[in-house]
Amino acid sequence: MKNIIYKGVLTLFALAMVVSCDEGFEDLNEDPTKASQIDVKFKFPNTVLFASGQRYETWRGNLIYCSTMMQHLANTQGYWSGDKYFWNAAYSSAFWDAMYPQAVKTVEDMKFQLETEELTSSPEYAMVRILRVFIYHRLTDLYGDIPYSEAGKAFIEGNTRPRYDAQEDIYADMLKELEESVALLGTGTAEIGTSDILFLGNQDQWKKWGNSLMLRLALRLVKVDETAAQAWATKAINGGVMESNADIAYVQHEDGNGILQNANGEVFTADRSARISTTFLGLLENDPRMRVYAALPPDETGFVNDDPAAQKGLPNGLDGTTIQDYEGGDDLATYSEPNSKYLMSEAAPMFWQTYAEVELMLAEAGVRWGLAGDPAAHYEAGVTAAMEYLEMYNEGAAIDATEIADYLAANPFDAANALEQINTEYYKATFLNEYETYANWRRTGFPNLTPVNYPGNQTNGTIPRRLIYPTNEQALNKENYDAVIASQGADLLTTRVWWDQ
Amino acid sequence: MNQMTKYLLIALACLGIQGAVAQTITGTVSDEAGMPLPGVNVVEKGTSNGTSTDFDGNYAINVSSDNAVLVFSALGFKTTERSVSGASLNVTLAEDAELLGEVVVTALGIKKETKALGYSLTEVGGEKLSEVKQVNAINALQGQVAGVNVTGAATGPSGTSKVVIRGVSSLSGTSQPLYIVDGIPINNQNLGSASRWGGSDYGDGISSINADDIESVSVLKGGAAGALYGSRASNGVIVITTKSGKKQQGLGVELSSSVQLESVNTDLYEFQNQYGQGLNGVAPTTQQEALDAGMQSWGSRLGSVSTAAQFDGVNRPYVDTGDNVSRYYRTANTLINTVAISKAGEGYNLRFSATDLNNNDITPNSGLNRKSFSLNGGAVLADKLTLDVAGKFVVEKVNNRPRSSDSPGNGNFSVVLSPSNINVLDYQPGIAEDGTEFRISSNTFQQNPYWTAYRFSNESRKNRFIGSSTLRYQVTDWLYLMGRAGIDNYTARITSVEPFGTAYKPLGGMQEQTFNVSTVDADFIIGIEKDITENFSNTTILGANSNSLKNEFIQLVGNEFVIPSLEDIANVANRQYSYSDSRVKRNGLYFSTEFAYKNYLYLTVTGRNDWFSTLSKAGKSAPNNYFYPSANASFVFSDAFELPSWFNFGKVRAGYSDVGGGANDPYQLSLNYAINDTYNGRGTGVSIGSISNSGVPNENLEPFSKKEYEVGLDMRFLNNRLGLDLAYYSNKTTNDIVGINTSQASGYNSAFINIGELTNKGVEVLLTGKPVVSENFSWDINYNMTYNENEVVKTDPDGNPIFPGDAAYGVNSQAGYLEGYPAATLYGTTFVRDEDGNIQYDSDGTPTVGDNDVIGNGIAPWTMGITNTFRYKNVNLSFLIDAKFGGEIFSGTSAFANFYGASKNTLVGRENGLPVSGVDADGNAFSTTIPAENVNIYYQRLYSIAEANVQDADFIKFRQISLGYQFPSAMLEKTFIKNASISLIGRNLFFLMRKTENIDPESAYNNTVANGIERFGLPSTRSYGLSLNVKF
Repeated sequence: MKNIIYKGVLTLFALAMVVSCDEGFEDLNEDPTKASQIDVKFKFPNTVLFASGQRYETWRGNLIYCSTMMQHLANTQGYWSGDKYFWNAAYSSAFWDAMYPQAVKTVEDMKFQLETEELTSSPEYAMVRILRVFIYHRLTDLYGDIPYSEAGKAFIEGNTRPRYDAQEDIYADMLKELEESVALLGTGTAEIGTSDILFLGNQDQWKKWGNSLMLRLALRLVKVDETAAQAWATKAINGGVMESNADIAYVQHEDGNGILQNANGEVFTADRSARISTTFLGLLENDPRMRVYAALPPDETGFVNDDPAAQKGLPNGLDGTTIQDYEGGDDLATYSEPNSKYLMSEAAPMFWQTYAEVELMLAEAGVRWGLAGDPAAHYEAGVTAAMEYLEMYNEGAAIDATEIADYLAANPFDAANALEQINTEYYKATFLNEYETYANWRRTGFPNLTPVNYPGNQTNGTIPRRLIYPTNEQALNKENYDAVIASQGADLLTTRVWWDQ
Repeated sequence: MNQMTKYLLIALACLGIQGAVAQTITGTVSDEAGMPLPGVNVVEKGTSNGTSTDFDGNYAINVSSDNAVLVFSALGFKTTERSVSGASLNVTLAEDAELLGEVVVTALGIKKETKALGYSLTEVGGEKLSEVKQVNAINALQGQVAGVNVTGAATGPSGTSKVVIRGVSSLSGTSQPLYIVDGIPINNQNLGSASRWGGSDYGDGISSINADDIESVSVLKGGAAGALYGSRASNGVIVITTKSGKKQQGLGVELSSSVQLESVNTDLYEFQNQYGQGLNGVAPTTQQEALDAGMQSWGSRLGSVSTAAQFDGVNRPYVDTGDNVSRYYRTANTLINTVAISKAGEGYNLRFSATDLNNNDITPNSGLNRKSFSLNGGAVLADKLTLDVAGKFVVEKVNNRPRSSDSPGNGNFSVVLSPSNINVLDYQPGIAEDGTEFRISSNTFQQNPYWTAYRFSNESRKNRFIGSSTLRYQVTDWLYLMGRAGIDNYTARITSVEPFGTAYKPLGGMQEQTFNVSTVDADFIIGIEKDITENFSNTTILGANSNSLKNEFIQLVGNEFVIPSLEDIANVANRQYSYSDSRVKRNGLYFSTEFAYKNYLYLTVTGRNDWFSTLSKAGKSAPNNYFYPSANASFVFSDAFELPSWFNFGKVRAGYSDVGGGANDPYQLSLNYAINDTYNGRGTGVSIGSISNSGVPNENLEPFSKKEYEVGLDMRFLNNRLGLDLAYYSNKTTNDIVGINTSQASGYNSAFINIGELTNKGVEVLLTGKPVVSENFSWDINYNMTYNENEVVKTDPDGNPIFPGDAAYGVNSQAGYLEGYPAATLYGTTFVRDEDGNIQYDSDGTPTVGDNDVIGNGIAPWTMGITNTFRYKNVNLSFLIDAKFGGEIFSGTSAFANFYGASKNTLVGRENGLPVSGVDADGNAFSTTIPAENVNIYYQRLYSIAEANVQDADFIKFRQISLGYQFPSAMLEKTFIKNASISLIGRNLFFLMRKTENIDPESAYNNTVANGIERFGLPSTRSYGLSLNVKF
């Protein structure tokens, strides 16, 4: 009897267990709030916004480092490390930390998706590749040799420790990418349409931007490989570069969540400590842009005084104590800041590459190699465009034709001193796109900047030539990190990147 | 009355004489809760005539005489003798306090004799936890149990408790144990912690359990003890049983009250008070200079100028104003009141309790209120069928949890670092005329502490229900069926506001968060208990378990208030919302079989197979399930052999187990995408979306395993007055699922793979002694000690360290896992030294910042505690001293105090310059003197060198004391009060030894993954109070 009960119970138990123990588990483990793939038209604008920058890296990379090293801005606060050539590990790596896991990851994902879907002859594929070059060129210009061919592919290829490519190879590949991409583009509006928030699907403008970017990269090479620089510049010019301010590559930011906003604007909302550098203000003397770029901080009534006569620049390299001995006095409210009427908005456009820059590069190509016709004409067109495009910030920022003409009359093309003149204009035209200002200054040495020599600075009183890699690469990607240090040189602010040798 | 009794007894005696013939006595034996007791031995005294009760507690025995005396005995109960009087005799057995330790609650709530256990298990009585009640009751385990490392944190009473048993056993997750309450696992999820960029600790799940409701806590330390929980036992298991109703005299009402006052332990703070606010040796002369100087104490010697400008433009004497910390923080109070009613009778027992816990914390305008209701009941529903139910309802509200780590919103930062010529009371009320923050520094991130206390707000509410019911059907006297189902459901709401006018966020912002978390757990068990032969018995259970977790999270984030004064989530310019729904299920089948030979040799074998939804995916080839076996044996040699009389008890034990786990988080196997926002620029109106994973998904994940063996020896000597319990264990986790850090250049910050390997080896010693035992005076000592050696063996394919990320960040340092080192090794920037140990300096005399390297060990390997209990008549004195050795702590306070010139070491060189000597970058001898006015550059460099800010975390703490008085029963006899006691209590009163400067060695800012990293949490406190307990 007992045995029967025993056996019966065990049998029942066994039966109960026959029911699969993981039934429904596969469905349960699919996230009900996520999709397993989405269309490129959703991904593209997201990546463009990542590339345009968010507050984190824009604050640290664009403003704290580049803008102060370039003496566009100055700051007495100790944490504005670039002002005095200090290394702050987290600030120095901020641009890398933000770009790779966001812009790089998603641009590689789009590229992979289009390749998987065999859409490699579509204009979208070309757009993705041009966008990809834009993202990487800023990275390599800032850090030197960087992970490129293996980067952003942890999921696609399972590579979690990408090797660093030599900048020389990266440049060669980026130029090739631009050439191939431009060739893929046709005319009219691509299918992606307004999801292309840079050019609204306009293939013609993409072509111009691809070539303009090629021109930018070509000129970067003048110090290390002038032959290649000339050849690529020729190719870019022949392919057709930007022709007016309507062709500018920019993102129109808007109010809303962080990613939608202009990151410089977000920084100015949070941190109003930066002032216009004496150096920059000096270069804006008798330049109609001074009233657009510089203004005093709002007074108690909210009035923003942008009368050029009232502006005062802050020298770089001062701190809260040493400013007391400076003739300008220690009241920071009396020093100019970026004009809050136009430049501090979170809905401001973020300019990636302007027509003005392109004209100035054409002028330089003319001076160097006799390309693209009369350099003086390009110089004038560049200056004109640089003044005219400011109205994209705000109508109030518009500079009228008379002012432009007066400026050009007072500052005619100076063939004897052309490179300095052109690149000083480039310096003025790229205000707030500090990554570009910094790269172009390292390439040309113009304008002539006098470095500061603050006690304890880490560059022996010279302007840094690059930013330092994230310190966690030493641990997380050690083999490749060690290899790049061996080939590129010590991981210092003073080490020059390949094209800057 | 006495007269009556006498007559009655005479009458009974007469009856007895009259019927002096053999007869059958029947009756029921039950426990104090009124539940029938099966298996009680009933023996006629002086004879071998005996029987035992059946599963309903009934017995029948033929006795030889009417004067017979029956002896009732059962394990864990006082042996009771009763004279026969009539044909029926019902008996209630009292639990034997002396012997209670012999029976403990083991896995699945099964009670077992300790001598049968082949593993280490420590049971702690509820009274230990309610003696000096903690807001988070589990903190009271600190220093009490060998092998259990409870770490305090600087996140206040509402914070998370970190309990690690036998060392960190996983490279991911928190290594916190599984908590089982009344048979069902409860959710111990942390709802948020401070990280590198600041934030608050939103507490854990175990804090919902009320100290006054806890009957006992069983700590199943090793795998062998917890093996029946299979995949969930890898970090140890803590089984909590709550109180149930008992038969008692009187109404069965118990009241207990405790009031504790808490104040900052100011002994810890020793900042410099010789130099005031300023820069480069100069005191501020204008408001702007004062604001620019902010927290910097690099001014001139105090008193060297008569007054200096301060943050508000007022010139005040440039002198030391005294202790800002004690001025800013108030005396906290915690009031805990519990009323409990319990009753038991024929076939039922019931207990209801209600507790109100109210805490006003040391930070102004902060505190916690928790109301707990508990109802436990048991009933015999029908013949052979019993039901037990337990339900708890907890309503918790926390106001303004402290912020820690980074300075934004963290008042602790500003209070501690304010220069000594500033009186923080002058910061009051913290609000400028225009309603914005009254700035105390040009650095927008350094906040006015009164603004953070009164204008920041952070309110969290949690409503939680935990219920379980167990139905048991005794099929025959050797076979039972049991079903148990339970639910743990809570909704937590968090509203946090960064107000309009905050310096670093002028337009403000807020967040609304809702967590809906529900755990459902069900077991079905078949139990067989059989004597196979006279000397040989077997107990077997077969079981099936299903556990599911659903965790919904809804978050609304709003930034930039439109109407400044209206703090509403719709009143914002920018909105973001997010929703996540995490669903996890795990099914298991298990068995356990125990063989006992002659009650001195025991062998138990268990096995469990678990299936994981988190490792399931269509087409996946790697397994989604794992079989976890265990075996343990115990040999009571004192029962097997004749030993000297002073050797009372001896047992050796050994156990082996394989436990482990699957992935905790769902959806890790595939790449997912989400739509994030809408972009409307240039009239487009397009949706934007991207990859949601920040870690690389891996569809080949499989369960991990943790194998452990342990041996132990348990001995008692000299009439049980001296006891020694030793345990040695060694465990190894392999194939651990690790979110390895990846180079960010790969596009992802982490990747999940089965790779982690780590080991723990340790010794646990428990020494108990009763030096004095007498009627009026007794002295008990309990000493426990643990040494755990933890080693991370494998982290990732390249042997790279793993860092938990922002949650474990110090300043230029973090806690992480490095091969060859213990878990939570501190890693950060170092000094550069030449071969002879000389420090390398830059040309300006500041030490060169070296590469990241190991700079300390965040978890102390040595932990111990000693409790002394004295009783003299009705007075009780008990105190606990606990200690930890061998650990270090990275002090963020030290880093910033160096930077701002607040710490005493920064006084060196301020008058005559600071001479340094060492080597230069080329290795040549180097010496220079940093001028006095620039001496700050040296100390500010120390801020960047993490090694300079690591401190030895060894300590001996006078943890707890209680002086109690039990009112004599004679005094209460005439009243309705049955029992009353009162005690004076104190906790964390002082250190007997400490090596840290300006911080408590137990002041981690994040208690989930980080260990040994301090960054401006709440200051350490000491508390003292009064506790009262009355029964009537």
